[in-house]
Amino acid sequence: MKNRLKLLRAERGWSQGDLAAQLGISRQSVNAIETGKYDPSLPLAFRIADLFGARIEDIFLRDAQQQEA
Amino acid sequence: MTNASRNPAYRRYTGRMIPLSLAYVGAVGLASWLIPDGAAANVATVAIALVPGLAALGWIWAMARFLVELDDEYLRMLEIRKFLIATGFALAITNVWGLLELFTTVPALSVFFVWPLWCVGLAVGQLVNWRQTGVAGCA
Repeated sequence: MKNRLKLLRAERGWSQGDLAAQLGISRQSVNAIETGKYDPSLPLAFRIADLFGARIEDIFLRDAQQQEA
Repeated sequence: MTNASRNPAYRRYTGRMIPLSLAYVGAVGLASWLIPDGAAANVATVAIALVPGLAALGWIWAMARFLVELDDEYLRMLEIRKFLIATGFALAITNVWGLLELFTTVPALSVFFVWPLWCVGLAVGQLVNWRQTGVAGCA
């Protein structure tokens, strides 16, 4: 699943390690999510959304949105 | 928590596995010293031979705790995938070898080797994880 996590992180000037520390997960997890190799669980997706003050669907793109993008 | 190998669950896992492994090696050495080759199965020999098994049960407990305590869901997924690959690896080899034993005259494979085969499967799983994701896992 594609997502805007890398973009949102870059806007705040955070490294993957910074984001990982704020979410309480490993840097490898952040990298896997950003590159679309791993789709987070719903609770983790909510934590990510809360951290960026956004909705889950603003960060993670549905298949139809991926085709439009 | 930014690095897989610094995960507290992994540190606890390592802290449990090292003394359990030392206990296993010590118990196997003691049993080898106390029980002569070809000794009959009696209460004493069976009791001594089972002592290393307690450490092996400890390994299984430590691995189960590791999965329960690992709070990073991505790393947990990689570890579980590694365990599944190891299980498939060990089952595939022992089942195929069992069929060969059934229908041909190949030497019998001792059930003792199921566990070492599973551990080799863990290494295979680690390699698969690394090839597919660039991350081998925690352990």
